[in-house]
Amino acid sequence: MLKINNLCAKVGDKDILKGLNLEVKPGELHAIMGPNGSGKSTLAAVLAGRDSFEVTDGSVDLDGIDLLDLEASDRAREGVFLAFQYPIEIPGVSNLNFMKAALNGKRSHQGLEPIKAKDFLAKVKECSSLVELDGQLRDRSVNEGFSGGEKKRNEIFQMAMLEPKLAILDETDSGLDIDALRVVSKGVNAMRSSERSFIVITHYQRLLEHIVPDFVHVLSNGKIVKSGGKELALELEEKGYDWLKEPSHDTSNA
Amino acid sequence: MSVFTDKFSATLPPPTRKSERWKYSPIAKLLNHEIEISKASAQGLNGWPESLMPNPVLNLDAYLVVFKNGVFEPTLSDLPVSDGVDCIPFSKMDQSGPLEFSNVYHQKEWIGELNDTYRQDGLSLHVHRNVKVDRPIVIHHLTDGINVASFPKHLIKVEEGGELNVVIWSSATDRSSGMYNGLLEASIGPNAILSLEKVCNEGGKVFHFSHEHIVQERDSKLKMHTFTIKGDWVRNELEIISRGKGTDSVFNGAYLPLGTEHIDNHTTMDHTSSDCTSSELYRGIMYGHSTGVFNGKVFVRPDAQKTNAFQQNTNIVADRGAAINTKPELEIYADDVKCAHGCTVGQFDLDALFYLKSRGIDEKAAKALLVEAFLADVLSSVSSTELSAEIMSLYTERHGW
Repeated sequence: MLKINNLCAKVGDKDILKGLNLEVKPGELHAIMGPNGSGKSTLAAVLAGRDSFEVTDGSVDLDGIDLLDLEASDRAREGVFLAFQYPIEIPGVSNLNFMKAALNGKRSHQGLEPIKAKDFLAKVKECSSLVELDGQLRDRSVNEGFSGGEKKRNEIFQMAMLEPKLAILDETDSGLDIDALRVVSKGVNAMRSSERSFIVITHYQRLLEHIVPDFVHVLSNGKIVKSGGKELALELEEKGYDWLKEPSHDTSNA
Repeated sequence: MSVFTDKFSATLPPPTRKSERWKYSPIAKLLNHEIEISKASAQGLNGWPESLMPNPVLNLDAYLVVFKNGVFEPTLSDLPVSDGVDCIPFSKMDQSGPLEFSNVYHQKEWIGELNDTYRQDGLSLHVHRNVKVDRPIVIHHLTDGINVASFPKHLIKVEEGGELNVVIWSSATDRSSGMYNGLLEASIGPNAILSLEKVCNEGGKVFHFSHEHIVQERDSKLKMHTFTIKGDWVRNELEIISRGKGTDSVFNGAYLPLGTEHIDNHTTMDHTSSDCTSSELYRGIMYGHSTGVFNGKVFVRPDAQKTNAFQQNTNIVADRGAAINTKPELEIYADDVKCAHGCTVGQFDLDALFYLKSRGIDEKAAKALLVEAFLADVLSSVSSTELSAEIMSLYTERHGW
């Protein structure tokens, strides 16, 4: 499904991703762990199409489509979804109008008619109850005044609405208490299927007790330095990252 | 002597950039225009351009007063005829004459003097005590022609307990050029309510000047909106004087100029009496190479204790070539008041834009959502949903969202 080959990206003059390789097959869930500043969130942003990062080398292929060639909105329409680490508040834009525009954007891309109001509301009800947000979205602006937990649940609600092919969860567990973590994990697990793949970025093994990965990768200094099964996460929890870290090759010292 | 001042004589000099009030809106280009004073008489539908409707807000059930190039068009108008409302163009007045007011704008400003000297017509609108006018009154000014000028002045008086909604809509055909110089004086009696919406949707190259002078008596309410949809060069001046206790003034505005358009909003809120509130919100998005000015003055005089005044001007500069000069001015002479003001100039929120795009909403639609959200606070207080929907749809159509 997803093939990332030798991906290199920088922001300004700073190289962040330095030749990252990853293959994700349909239905698989890959966890990416790693120390602060290793490039985890950059990977998420580059895959979603944030243009503040410059891709300098490599390729990203999603079912035969060159993702790097597409605008962020077209990537989403092709089935990429990013659950933000810090979801954005947009005062004045209602949650429901936002989701309707998103859903209809995708549908027009697929050559479908805009969704009927009744079907839309039914889908909202179904997806919002999945993350225990039912009835709380209608009259509110996108993420405005939402608690940290509500924002993260809203991300999973949006994921459920848009039914992506590839979902990237960027530190969805940060800022969540145990109960919210359980709700969010339940939502993610309900979305798992043999056609949908996940990349879950996290600092902590805690999330992976709820969302069990097929593979765990350690990202350090812009590259994947170790891959393994779910037991790798436990090992990291115990030993930390230091034993895996690649020495940084700062160009100024070269 | 310029071409203009050869034809239009005034004792006051035209404003120059040396005056702070006109520093960012120079009128040198106007002074080189060969503008004629229209002497046409009413032409009815025969003289009306096909591209526009005499009624600018078709969905709004309203009375209609139409002027073309400053001249009243009786056959295109539908004036209220009921007890308690006198709505009469100056040209149709009997000897009783129009309402009288004490504004001295014509003695202070060149623009005002020109209006006073060359006025073709205007509307005298008197709402009697406790009369609530059943429908809005739409005053439509059309500019159609090359180098034409119109100088309307409207007088509005709402007596104690009365209620009135007026929409002043100015439009111009694409071929048009010249000048629109429109004045308005209003007085809102005790406990009376005036809602006033001003919409400028002018094609062509017209210099648009408008000046409103509004006096509020005790416990009266003013709700005023100034929308600039389209206009090559637009200056809106609004002056509100709160003269009695307990008045409430809400005045909002929006502008989204394109190309090389120029838009200037000058407002003055003068609190002279105690226990009053005022709330001002102007929002603008500057596109292309457009230029803009916002100047908002709030005076709180020594007797205006317990005043609660709020003022905000928020701007987005959408393109590299656009510019806005914004300046809030607060002068407070009373000690027990609450005043807040702020001006901001920024860009579209790139984080919000990316968030929307990451959900499959394309850039254009994402910007449209952000613009709609940006304008929502201004549009939501418009007196009728028909009017706010029409304004939003004109913005949408113009900007191709």
